[in-house]
Amino acid sequence: MKIFSSFKKELILASRSFYFYVELGFSLIILAVLLLAVPENFNTTATQYLYFDMPQAAKEIYIDTVLESEPGMESEMVGIEAEGKTYEAQLITTDGEEVYIVDSREALEKLAYEKQNPGAVIRLDDNNQLNFQYYLQGYESTRLKNLISIMFSKDIGTLEKLVEKQEVRYLTTGYESINDRENTIPPIISFSSGLMGMFILASYIFLDKKEGVIKAYAVTASPIWQYLISKIFVVLLTSIVSGLIIIMPVIGLRINYGLVLLLLLTAGFFSSSLGLLIASFYEDLMKAFGVIYLLVILLMVPAIAYFIPGWNPFWIKLIPTYPLMQGFKEIILPEGDITYPLLASAGFLAAGLVLFAFTNIRFKKTLSI
Amino acid sequence: MIKVEGLYHSYTRDENYALKDVNFEVGEGEIFGFLGPSGAGKSTTQGILTGLLQLQKGNVTVAGYDIRNIERKMFNKIGMSFEQSNVYSKMTALENLLFYSKLFDVETRNPLELIKLVGLGGKENIRTGEFSKGMKHRLTFARSMINSPSMWFLDEPTTGLDPAIAAGIKDIIKERNSEGVTIFLTTHNMFIADELCDRVGFIVDGVIRLIDSPKNLKLKYGKKLVEVEYAIDGDVKKETFSTIIQEEKNALNKIISEREILTMHTKEATLEEIFIKVTGRELV
Repeated sequence: MKIFSSFKKELILASRSFYFYVELGFSLIILAVLLLAVPENFNTTATQYLYFDMPQAAKEIYIDTVLESEPGMESEMVGIEAEGKTYEAQLITTDGEEVYIVDSREALEKLAYEKQNPGAVIRLDDNNQLNFQYYLQGYESTRLKNLISIMFSKDIGTLEKLVEKQEVRYLTTGYESINDRENTIPPIISFSSGLMGMFILASYIFLDKKEGVIKAYAVTASPIWQYLISKIFVVLLTSIVSGLIIIMPVIGLRINYGLVLLLLLTAGFFSSSLGLLIASFYEDLMKAFGVIYLLVILLMVPAIAYFIPGWNPFWIKLIPTYPLMQGFKEIILPEGDITYPLLASAGFLAAGLVLFAFTNIRFKKTLSI
Repeated sequence: MIKVEGLYHSYTRDENYALKDVNFEVGEGEIFGFLGPSGAGKSTTQGILTGLLQLQKGNVTVAGYDIRNIERKMFNKIGMSFEQSNVYSKMTALENLLFYSKLFDVETRNPLELIKLVGLGGKENIRTGEFSKGMKHRLTFARSMINSPSMWFLDEPTTGLDPAIAAGIKDIIKERNSEGVTIFLTTHNMFIADELCDRVGFIVDGVIRLIDSPKNLKLKYGKKLVEVEYAIDGDVKKETFSTIIQEEKNALNKIISEREILTMHTKEATLEEIFIKVTGRELV
């Protein structure tokens, strides 16, 4: 009854406070950005223009050889505009590459200039040897430029051997089965629903300290832990609502929402307890701001490892947002491993309980602040 | 109702004590005034008695409970009105009191009745953020009665209130005391202490200098003088006589019997004068 009364009071206060609407508004903005600005798949197709400065017969032999060398290539005639003029081109599409073969050097130069894509003129010299002239844009990396240089300084056979020797190791699996928009969900949810809880809860406590109502509560027959847990309940409710606002429209109903709620609740409990603990050491938000800021920066570091799987040092796995993001990822993947989010939830629950118990002791001792 | 023995407290946890060997008792149904200037140790003592500050050294029992091991049920018997009003500004007066009424294990008073009692009738559905300082103070005072406490801590209960409202608050205190409630009143307002308290304790620099009833203090430290204004030959004359020295007593009797007395006052000392005399400090 007492705890219900505290929860009801917190709901009233949250519904009349700024932070509650900030988090919901933030979720709606994120959703709008995801649906309207972020494509389902980022365009990683490379585009280039080629002009064959050679007799038509030689050109056809060259193109046919290329088309036959790799299955799955498609060829069609298209028109491309540059500087108000339409140029005829043969478009050859491969997996991840679009090659436009144009009919004149002028067309190649205009297209490369306006579309800011690289181009090349391939011609037969007087000795009937292929000669390449590249039009680069300036943004190409030194690696690419070096690669082009090597291609013409080494013989093809040596290069092929070197390529065959390369070992391709997949750092993670499953990226292929979810689109890029879905892939951005785990870090967003981790920060908007998980970490915001820490900040909002600390803010609620500082507001209560400013109004002195913690002291008034301390001289009632209700235990302090009920006061603290009722605040956490409200933050968890906000986290769930804001999390679902983002997840449901983007992913739909294909994922296990029981696991989503479990991870949101346990991670929210952990981050809220962390927020409580920070608030127990400081008098107001300004004084605690430095610590909160540093903590947020630290907790954001695993997002780098999420988007760049090649950088994945051991210590980063100890930062709580790492298992949180990976947990959400496993839930979203069609063939995801549900053991991971379950274990992560258990970890967050255990860590949250320890933090909460410590925080309760801190608040009992620091009520006069 | 309250027993304090050898109480020490240091905020810096060293020999720099805010309270030094404080000892006193408050009996059931008594109004005990704890008087002293700012920084004397009044709030520290009250903080320890209400469990808001940790007991470091000494023995303290309140309403039969040892403060060293506070049980939440102790607070069913205790009410606390803070000097700085502390109510939820985003909630209405009624919502505030309804919330606190649910935090006790005992039958609580009707919030609306309490709101009316402190003169806030008709304002129950207004958010307290829109209240004046005095209105918030009255709501804080009303909240401290929600559980009908038998041990009532009042910290400057009339500070910032206009005289009419302050008189109403004093009447409530007297009425609750007449019902048997023990009251621990912390104030630097000597007039309120004089009017309400059965006994007062003077505290300065963390040390209790004196504990007695206002009446005894006046008898002990008062000047025992009578000031008389009387008419003589169409003029008004004012004289002061000792009530102890026989010659002056005779002179006073003569004036009373022979002259037309216009005014006559006993010149007893105020608590403030006694405080200054005893402690050598002013109540600022």
